[in-house]
Amino acid sequence: MLVAAAVAGLLTQLGLGGSDKVQIGNGSVSALAQAAQAADTLPQSVLDYPFAERNFASPNGGGSRLLQEQGSLRLYAVPGKGGMLCLIEVDSAANTAGGACADRSVLRTGSIYMADRQEDGSRLVVGLVGDGHTYAEADGRRATVENNAFVLNQVEGGDFTVGSPTASQHVDIEG
Amino acid sequence: MVVFFALTFASTAGAEYRIYWWQQNMAPNAQGYDRQTAHNHIYNELYFGPNAGWTSEVWEVTPAGYRHFDKWCAGNCFYAHPGYYYTYSYCSNRDGSTHFVYECKDQW
Repeated sequence: MLVAAAVAGLLTQLGLGGSDKVQIGNGSVSALAQAAQAADTLPQSVLDYPFAERNFASPNGGGSRLLQEQGSLRLYAVPGKGGMLCLIEVDSAANTAGGACADRSVLRTGSIYMADRQEDGSRLVVGLVGDGHTYAEADGRRATVENNAFVLNQVEGGDFTVGSPTASQHVDIEG
Repeated sequence: MVVFFALTFASTAGAEYRIYWWQQNMAPNAQGYDRQTAHNHIYNELYFGPNAGWTSEVWEVTPAGYRHFDKWCAGNCFYAHPGYYYTYSYCSNRDGSTHFVYECKDQW
């Protein structure tokens, strides 16, 4: 029983257990294939965290791309180790940074995301999605996917949806 | 699959912050927590390995019981934020039954 549970958990972790989930695209992220520009370079402070060494394909964040900039918030995509992709958020006004790295297969059935609770109790949700996704939606409000990324402000509920013109995927923020 | 939790912190003068985390392979009401006191964290990291995909949460609770720096994420993740007190920094490393490790560098 324990072995079966462990195997099931491992398959879920590897992203192999979600065959019944709606799939959009093949997990490719075209933003990473764009020509590099100076603004794509990650801040040195992010590269200095042990997270970078443990997760990025290159210790210097090689291949990173700036996906979006909204006010003081910048979102980057970074190639990760072993087939992972990473989403990095840097808020220069709040002096905060965060990151999430997950297996690329996650992008077929959802998003690599972060949800940060705000002072008013709502969440700021940022996400990286694969090619084919065109929107993210929460609380009835929709944000357009640009450069494989989205930003959802003041999310009150515990879930959001990402989708294409023909399909949608539900993401439960709290697992 | 190795799971560990990395924290960077600066010492504080008496304040007691606590760090909690939850990951998808834990029971809904279960939570890991940092047992050290009298320090202020400026960097939290959850690491599950190269095939990460689980949902996780890490948050801090102030001495007054205020919950802040609450982040949900998919896979391996970190959250760096300003510290409140910087007197001197130190670090320790340990591995316990809950598979977490502390790391600290003076420059952080």
